[in-house]
Amino acid sequence: MTEILLRADAKTPVARSALGGIKWRGLLPYVFIVPPVLYLAVFMFYPLGRQIWLSFTNTRLMNPNRSEFTGLNNYERLFADPEFYMALQVTVIYSALAVILGVTVGMIAALALNRPFPGRAIVRAVLLFGWACPNVAASLVWLWMFNERSGVLNTIVTGIGLDRVAWLTTTQMALPSILLVTVWQVAPFVMLVMLAALQSVPEEVKEAARVDNADSLSVFRAVTLPHVMPTLQLVSLLVAVWSIRRFDIIYLLTGGGPIGSTSTLIVKLRQVAFENYDLGLASAYGVIGLILALTVAVIHALFTRHRLKRSQQ
Amino acid sequence: MKKALLVSAALAALAGPALAQDDVTLVISNSQWLDALRGEKLWAAIKAYEEVAPNVTLEQSAIPSKDYADRIMTEFGAGQGPDLAIMQEGVFYSLADAGFLVDVGEVAASADMNGTIDNAVIDGATLGIPWQRAVYALIYNKELLDAAGASVPTDIDGLIAAGQAVEDQGVIGFTSRHQISDFTGWFMDFQNWAYGYGVDWVDDEGNLTLNTPEAVEAVAAFKKVYDSGIIPVGDDMPTQRTRFKENQVGMSIDNSGGTLNIASGGALQSANLGAAPLPFPNPGAHQQIFISISEHSDHPEEAAAFLTWLVSPEGQTRLREASGPDALATDVAVTEEFAATNPWAPEFAELAQNSRSTLIPGYEVETGQIMRSVMEAVEEVLIRGTEPSEALATAQGKVERMF
Repeated sequence: MTEILLRADAKTPVARSALGGIKWRGLLPYVFIVPPVLYLAVFMFYPLGRQIWLSFTNTRLMNPNRSEFTGLNNYERLFADPEFYMALQVTVIYSALAVILGVTVGMIAALALNRPFPGRAIVRAVLLFGWACPNVAASLVWLWMFNERSGVLNTIVTGIGLDRVAWLTTTQMALPSILLVTVWQVAPFVMLVMLAALQSVPEEVKEAARVDNADSLSVFRAVTLPHVMPTLQLVSLLVAVWSIRRFDIIYLLTGGGPIGSTSTLIVKLRQVAFENYDLGLASAYGVIGLILALTVAVIHALFTRHRLKRSQQ
Repeated sequence: MKKALLVSAALAALAGPALAQDDVTLVISNSQWLDALRGEKLWAAIKAYEEVAPNVTLEQSAIPSKDYADRIMTEFGAGQGPDLAIMQEGVFYSLADAGFLVDVGEVAASADMNGTIDNAVIDGATLGIPWQRAVYALIYNKELLDAAGASVPTDIDGLIAAGQAVEDQGVIGFTSRHQISDFTGWFMDFQNWAYGYGVDWVDDEGNLTLNTPEAVEAVAAFKKVYDSGIIPVGDDMPTQRTRFKENQVGMSIDNSGGTLNIASGGALQSANLGAAPLPFPNPGAHQQIFISISEHSDHPEEAAAFLTWLVSPEGQTRLREASGPDALATDVAVTEEFAATNPWAPEFAELAQNSRSTLIPGYEVETGQIMRSVMEAVEEVLIRGTEPSEALATAQGKVERMF
């Protein structure tokens, strides 16, 4: 069999007769692409289509198969609800800050790890822990750390002579606390990807810049950053989309409170679906989240096109 | 309805010839299976049924309490789920409203049921059997209160004074749910404060009334206790209960199930735990748990036969041994041994005489949705310092738009 395949690869007459020749080779890409297409169709496109359809119906959690088409009714309810605008605002702020902080911290860590020093492998493994840790377990550990009376964070805070901080129970601190956990989880992933990108920057180009008396900052701005920019944009897109749909950390730490200060679209979606049993309205929340994620993806695509155009000029 | 007929047929068969002896597995879902100690005891109690019906195997579906309602309703909505579900009253009413529960009227008629069955009867159909009724009381650590020189409080000012005296000993004065992240538990606990100050949530015509003077008073009382500094702000309920177990908490308002949990397996000796009426002018609430047969079960006859055993004297005695002081479907007293080692238990039985359901009459299915608005108002009062009357008026406006 192996011999036949090798011959087929060599485009010999034997191969054509044994495996269908040119026809078979033409079909090969489709054979490879069928499994992922099937996977996406079953696990992504169908649920997505179903969710969009549900947002135009009055489907209830308890009677998902007995619903009626209600047109834009769910969207009218959504846009008339002040809580929707608050959830949208929280989602945008949370996602934007998660990208800015997560990518910045990850990038700094990657730059630090890009140069050799003793124990680098250990430091890299330790920094990856946040990303490798399951979200639920991480959230529960952080819940203990945030505990006002006995949490380690307040032990440190009171140890340096400050008052205890209400990390999760005040509107001022809840979102920053959740962002802290998010950055702790996201930054290692950014670091890993950016480290790979940094290691692909040609050393000779950097060396040439240094020969021209460029300092480290100039080398970074003129050589390194442009080289890793495509990766940086892609990783920012991923972090943004993950942040828009992040649920577990927020739900476990604050449940969307206090007073809705951490209630993102996805947290609100759960409340509408499972407390009010209103799958139709919950689906409308989901569709808005989807539009938000698509908007970010379009912005990324525009940036990429702009960059390609500039590089061609 | 078809399944109800099958249940009747099963009961007739129980009375006469034996059921067909095909091997059957009944899946029973419950969040309590995951409770330390209590879960094992409850499971062992009902597992005894396999001796009575050797062809039946009981299988657990253990779901964490925080996820229980979401998961069980999703499963039932999708036409799946366990054969029997053990659930809080709110979930029970939602599933009943959707027509997913089998009428077990004949099972109920086979035993000498007490008043706990009343809430299981909806539009003339008995859609579940009471599993346990957990009433709320003020519980306290006797040694800590004695050491602080505090007496058992009978009103809010007394609660704050006793709590602060206990705090002075370096431990926590009083525990209570107080965060929206534990919404379901918090709203049920808060009903004690509401009922304690005479709140009804609906008027004589059945209209929702969230901003009554009684409700304002209840929220103001909760705020006063919250502001006094005796509540460990930020602690979730499992943490609070663990602290109580470890002699780190002076007082709490908890139900009999939670109290049994606190009295078992920790540093706190059960004999050192006291229970008293709630420090409010009126009686408080109870959490009712039902066990029901799913309309989607492939074995409704066997499930009905199991429930018939459960409400029999043998089944109830077994369940009593694992249920502590909770009221059961029939009046079966706690054992003398249990009463002797748990002196706090009789107070719960006394309080169960006048306690009220946590659900809003006429709005049982929508109670969660309504109480979400109430608890968001309470949050506003606690965190932003909004006037209770103003916050509750906002909540009233919200539910008027909803219903």
